[in-house]
Amino acid sequence: MTIPGPALAILAVCLPLLYPAMALQTNWRRAMRYALPLLPLPALLLALGADSGWQLELPWLLNGGLWAMDDLRRLFLLLTAVLWAVAGLYAVGYLEDRHLRRFCVCWGLTLAGNLGLTMAVDIGSFYGFFALMTFAGYGLVVHEGTDEANHAGRVYIVMAVLGEMSILAGLLLAASAAGSQLLTELPAAVAHAPQRNLIIALLVAGFGVKAGLPLLHFWLPLAHPVSPTPASAVLSGTMIKAGLLGWLVTLPLGEIALSGWGALMVVAGGVGAIGAAILGVLQRRPKAVLAYSSISQMGLMVLMVGAALADPERAPVLFSVIGLYALHHGLAKGSLFLSAGVSLPAGRMGQTIVWLLIALPGLSLAGLPFTSGALAKLAMKAGLAKDSLDFELAGYLPLLMTAGAVATLLLVLRYLWTLSAKLKTGRNPPMLTAGWLAAVAVSLVAFWWMPWGVAGLVKAPVWLPAPYQLWALVWPMLIALAVAGLALLLSRNRSGARP
Amino acid sequence: MTLEEWMPLFALMISLVASLVIFALPEKGYVRRTSVNLGAALLKLVVVVVMVWGVFHGVNYGVSFTMVPGVTFVLKADALSMLFAGLSAVLWLLTTIYAVGYLEDSPNRRRFFGFFSLCVASTMGIALAGNLFTFFLFYEMLTLSTYPLVVHRGTAKALRAGRTYLIYTLTGGAVLLFAIAWLHSMAGDLPFRDGGHFVGADPDIHGSLILIFILLMAGLGVKAALFPLHGWLPQAMVAPAPVSALLHAVAVVKAGAFGIVRVVYDIYGVEASSALGLLEPLSWLAAFTILYASTRALWQADLKRRLAFSTISQVSYIILGIALVGPLAAIGGLVHLLHQGIMKITLFFCAGNYAETLGIHRIDEMDGAGQRMPGTSLAFTIGAFGMIGAPPLAGFITKWVMGSGALAVDMDWVILVLVGSSLLNAAYFLPIVHRLWFREVKGSWPEERHWGRLETSPWLLWPPLLTAVATVVVGVLASLPFSPLSWAELIVLRESSP
Repeated sequence: MTIPGPALAILAVCLPLLYPAMALQTNWRRAMRYALPLLPLPALLLALGADSGWQLELPWLLNGGLWAMDDLRRLFLLLTAVLWAVAGLYAVGYLEDRHLRRFCVCWGLTLAGNLGLTMAVDIGSFYGFFALMTFAGYGLVVHEGTDEANHAGRVYIVMAVLGEMSILAGLLLAASAAGSQLLTELPAAVAHAPQRNLIIALLVAGFGVKAGLPLLHFWLPLAHPVSPTPASAVLSGTMIKAGLLGWLVTLPLGEIALSGWGALMVVAGGVGAIGAAILGVLQRRPKAVLAYSSISQMGLMVLMVGAALADPERAPVLFSVIGLYALHHGLAKGSLFLSAGVSLPAGRMGQTIVWLLIALPGLSLAGLPFTSGALAKLAMKAGLAKDSLDFELAGYLPLLMTAGAVATLLLVLRYLWTLSAKLKTGRNPPMLTAGWLAAVAVSLVAFWWMPWGVAGLVKAPVWLPAPYQLWALVWPMLIALAVAGLALLLSRNRSGARP
Repeated sequence: MTLEEWMPLFALMISLVASLVIFALPEKGYVRRTSVNLGAALLKLVVVVVMVWGVFHGVNYGVSFTMVPGVTFVLKADALSMLFAGLSAVLWLLTTIYAVGYLEDSPNRRRFFGFFSLCVASTMGIALAGNLFTFFLFYEMLTLSTYPLVVHRGTAKALRAGRTYLIYTLTGGAVLLFAIAWLHSMAGDLPFRDGGHFVGADPDIHGSLILIFILLMAGLGVKAALFPLHGWLPQAMVAPAPVSALLHAVAVVKAGAFGIVRVVYDIYGVEASSALGLLEPLSWLAAFTILYASTRALWQADLKRRLAFSTISQVSYIILGIALVGPLAAIGGLVHLLHQGIMKITLFFCAGNYAETLGIHRIDEMDGAGQRMPGTSLAFTIGAFGMIGAPPLAGFITKWVMGSGALAVDMDWVILVLVGSSLLNAAYFLPIVHRLWFREVKGSWPEERHWGRLETSPWLLWPPLLTAVATVVVGVLASLPFSPLSWAELIVLRESSP
């Protein structure tokens, strides 16, 4: 059976967009809460059931609308739909009644924006959905109403507005160079525009705010941890990827070799991957550690964007690797964030299982064999292989990737460490548990049936990596374990010295 | 006389007659007065819709009389007229509904609604005026009919604001009259004509033309609140909310902006004004006004004062758009005539609702008002985001089209102005939105009134909700025929191929 893409696309966007209207009825509060996980379902069906390639023309919309689906967008749509669904399920159990309607309204609008931007091909709707997500997301960040949340919200909104303006200026210049209102026309036009560097700078910076590019990331470690846990999960899991998608659809990737910009992005990615890890292990709160881990992981994706900018031949391959990596990271990071709000069962056996399920998505991030992370890491390694890349900094990439892997595991260990001090034993609301387990299951199991494809790089699914690949995955983890052990030993000694 | 001749007269007379009837009715004739008001507003809307349809299909509505030899009274409906007339007709209806609710139980309502209708009749005259003389006639009638509205409350502050208003506008009017007379003595009675009259004008009169242009802009710039002639506007916000709404969205400031569009397009002609070097300085002045007024708005603690400075800034978008010469930028400017009207009237309606329902006037009193008045606050939020230029709302369409237009004529600096203005708008609107929804209520409201189940009187609630919906619709559906954007494209198409 083929599912009609365009009709489903409209439903996928309109359902969360119209859902806030339920807030008009004071006594629909309960229904609103239980509707949360249902909102992304049409989008999920669209991502799984409809083949990419459909197009939907909406000539009356803004400056002429066009929504469509290709393989890259499909991965982003899938990630968005899945993560919002499991986070929505989790939220049913997590949320308190206070300001519930306000939270739900913001949730629906943010979701609509996040889903819409993965399908939008005309500039107007893409930018519109992007802005909707940004502004409605503010409500998720400041929801708790604490001074800390308000401060985080202020930093978030200031940087977001600056980012939006940078994007607006970049898109205006790019659209004017292209003489078109379609994103698909932009990369080629930007590549040959006289103001190329200005346009690229504006777009890199504008989307970079959302993607947590170093120096534009300040809002992220403040905002991601203070929001309610399900919101943290979608902020760090999918909304951060909207910036990445923005780059992929607007920058002149695969058009011309931009070695300067490529080098800049590679450096930025490296600084993000390593720097965020250093700052992250110093954090005391679990969700703050995870926020830095997101910046660090995004750094690796920025690295790949940089390589694709520098080497147009390699760009198409890197596209699919970036898509795969984004999907893997989004699902794993979402699960990790959701685990920050669970309680431990009383029995020892139960506790072990819960800890295992908390830890596995984290280890997946670090590239544990037989996880999505192993696949993504191997694909990245193949995609960034030195001999196939043709630009100056290519030689440093393997080193950076290894350092990134070490940093990732250190952050995950730090997260588990800080979390162990915080987790209480007790009962979880059933929906909360269901949401978390679903997230873990999707990240560890369902991932393997998702339509990612990295043809020619890694044979999918790699249930059994070759021995040399296994070693490549494992030795950075061993270094990280050694470092963590050393740190633990040192802190023990120090506390032992003081009786 | 044929129907085509009658229609513009009819559109004008409806409000004029309504005004006279209201003056004739007794103060206590509440129901009759409201019926006349609403009936006239509805009737006019129908007439305007018919005319819009006609103009779209190329019907020429027009009528002229000779007053004295050499001076004619001309009413004519072209696409540009209908842009302004349409705005005026739609918003008059909503503002009337709003004013009925707002002035419930207050004294002197006969006087208020009489002048209110007169004011709308003037805007209709301005929209349909076919030459500078007719335009001037209604332009001054507008000044005189709005004065009683500004001072309606009769407080010392209101009277002071009214005096300032009169000094500014009458002086502006005198300058305008002088300029028109000078132009008349040089070139005779000039009807508004697509493409203008001075393409390839005799170089000998260039000096005079430039001087006259400056005087015309000075005269019209007072009402359009162009820097440095904007001083009256922030003071005039003491007027009752429906008056402010009308003043800021349709009547006064738009009359000035509309006049500037008429002079540039239909008297001088874009090509000629550009060749005379008049438009570039005008664009700088407009750009400066945009940024200056937005900066001033940041420091206002009073909600209506902040909105007033925002108006000064936004109206200059219209002027900037036409001063950029290119067709696309012009579309951006013209469409903002409507967009700004819809968005700003929403914000003023909401400001009025907060004042009437909760006694809130200052921004720092607005904490948590979203819980008490969700409908009004939703409308305010949409209006505010529209002003910032967030997609897919009306303001975004303006900014996108104007930005593209500026790039098309290599005026890249305009992008900086647009971005700067958006940032400033965000800086003075977003904190209010935050207060509305994300702060807890501080104790009790200054002066709370209750209306049963609804958050406020339905007369006050529906108009802002409708204009907020319109703010979304004209943005989202910008590419539909008869949307403001499509209509502005039609105007520019007809102006450039007379």
